[in-house]
Amino acid sequence: MSPVIPRRGLTLSVLVLAAVFASVWRLDLIAAFAEGQDSLGELFGFLQRFAAPDTSPAFLSKVGQGAIETLAISLIGTLLAVLAGVALALPASGRFGRLGQIVSRFMLNLLRSVPELVWATLTVLAAGLGPFAGTLALALHTTGVLGRLYAEALENAPPAPEAALRGAGSGAVAAFLYGTLPAVAPQWVAYGLYRWEMNIRMAAILGFVGAGGLGAQLYYALSLFHEARAATLIVAMLLLSLLVDALSGWLRRRLVVA
Amino acid sequence: MISLAALSVAYAGGRRALDGVDLSIAPGERVALIGPSGAGKTTLLRVMGANLRPTGGQLQLDGLDPWALNARQLQGLRGRVGKMYQAPPIPPRQRVITAVLAGRLGQWPLWRAVASLIYPLDIDGARAALAPFDLAERLFDRCDQLSGGQLQRVALARLFYQQPQLVLADEPVSALDPTLARSVAVALNEDAKRRGATLIASLHAVELALSEFSRVIGLREGRIVFDRPAAQLGVADIEALYAGVPYASAPEAHNPDAPSARPRLTRCA
Repeated sequence: MSPVIPRRGLTLSVLVLAAVFASVWRLDLIAAFAEGQDSLGELFGFLQRFAAPDTSPAFLSKVGQGAIETLAISLIGTLLAVLAGVALALPASGRFGRLGQIVSRFMLNLLRSVPELVWATLTVLAAGLGPFAGTLALALHTTGVLGRLYAEALENAPPAPEAALRGAGSGAVAAFLYGTLPAVAPQWVAYGLYRWEMNIRMAAILGFVGAGGLGAQLYYALSLFHEARAATLIVAMLLLSLLVDALSGWLRRRLVVA
Repeated sequence: MISLAALSVAYAGGRRALDGVDLSIAPGERVALIGPSGAGKTTLLRVMGANLRPTGGQLQLDGLDPWALNARQLQGLRGRVGKMYQAPPIPPRQRVITAVLAGRLGQWPLWRAVASLIYPLDIDGARAALAPFDLAERLFDRCDQLSGGQLQRVALARLFYQQPQLVLADEPVSALDPTLARSVAVALNEDAKRRGATLIASLHAVELALSEFSRVIGLREGRIVFDRPAAQLGVADIEALYAGVPYASAPEAHNPDAPSARPRLTRCA
């Protein structure tokens, strides 16, 4: 029997190259680049108009309002999701029997598998344009994510402390609060803060489908070719998400690690 | 206070952890349970604490059959029973004060338990419970900052704060060094004597059982071998109780099929 020559590397390389050529050909990228040579100047001109953000006091105060709205959407959306996540995580970890577990897990999967933007288009239709729709959309998707993580934390928590309190005559709720909550609370807080960081960015985007905040203003500015205003809004989004990252990191260090 | 008649506990598979136990313990008695591991000490304590339902025989606590009570009455009964374990079941991240105050959860209404979680409602009471153990200044430390011995004393403070009529202690001192073990055993007995409470503790340290407790019950293979005042127990009784039990392999004496290295987690579950 002749020795087997390993051909996996060669096959893989050929396949990847074929995929790249097929994509370039399908998207007409070469033609686009050739055309782009002429319009490159035009592109730079467009970008240049972003270089001078609109800093007029009237517009800045409007951006400030939008930033506060976006912050509020992300904060309330995440808080609602934490509450609903806990409410669904308790049955999903099997505390209320098999049926409760199946039903709540199904609900969590459903909430999680629909992305925020899709929820937002639905909530805008249902609740009208504005920040309420954005808050609801964030809360719905984040509930699905947090509920699953919270349920896993509950399943991994040691059962002995709660069982001992129940054995000493404590009620079910009090035994959970004193026996199991201390074990899961740090993880719950950390997950909640991580999702808040993600949701501040998502809250900025949700405005594009009419759900309020900075995103809505950016959408109008871009639609009307107000590049200077759009630039201000993009900078505001960047600053806002940096602020939330710093705040959430600080809170996590204070509440979780210490 | 406690009476057991022909009581037995059989696990699925037919193994009997307790086999026809007759026992009566009067209020204020201080009883030590001794015997090789796997003798049924933990099972007996769990039955007497209304945590494990016996599969046969009669059990009466305070003149009541706990398994004939409704859920609320059973909860009330359990609230009058204090328990201690070899490993204190306290969440590591909990503050010492919260862990101590948790002793009265069975007596507090829910609003009080929740309020106390936000701001401790009985700081003086917790401090007083910790004072005998030199832990009063650790009141606001987290439990994972304590040593194993300190944590067991926090569990003891929780028990004293609960002030139960019946104390069931399952190997409360087995994880402690000999000096600390004696001081915890003495503290349990002093507290029971002072309040007239009943104390039942399982112990591996036979000399502690003989010196601190008034009555000693020897268990082996789910049966009572002897039950008499500590003063009337001789070396021969103790040697007979542990005779022929090789170290650590005793639990498998009932169950020759099981591999000897297998941890017997099912008993504690």
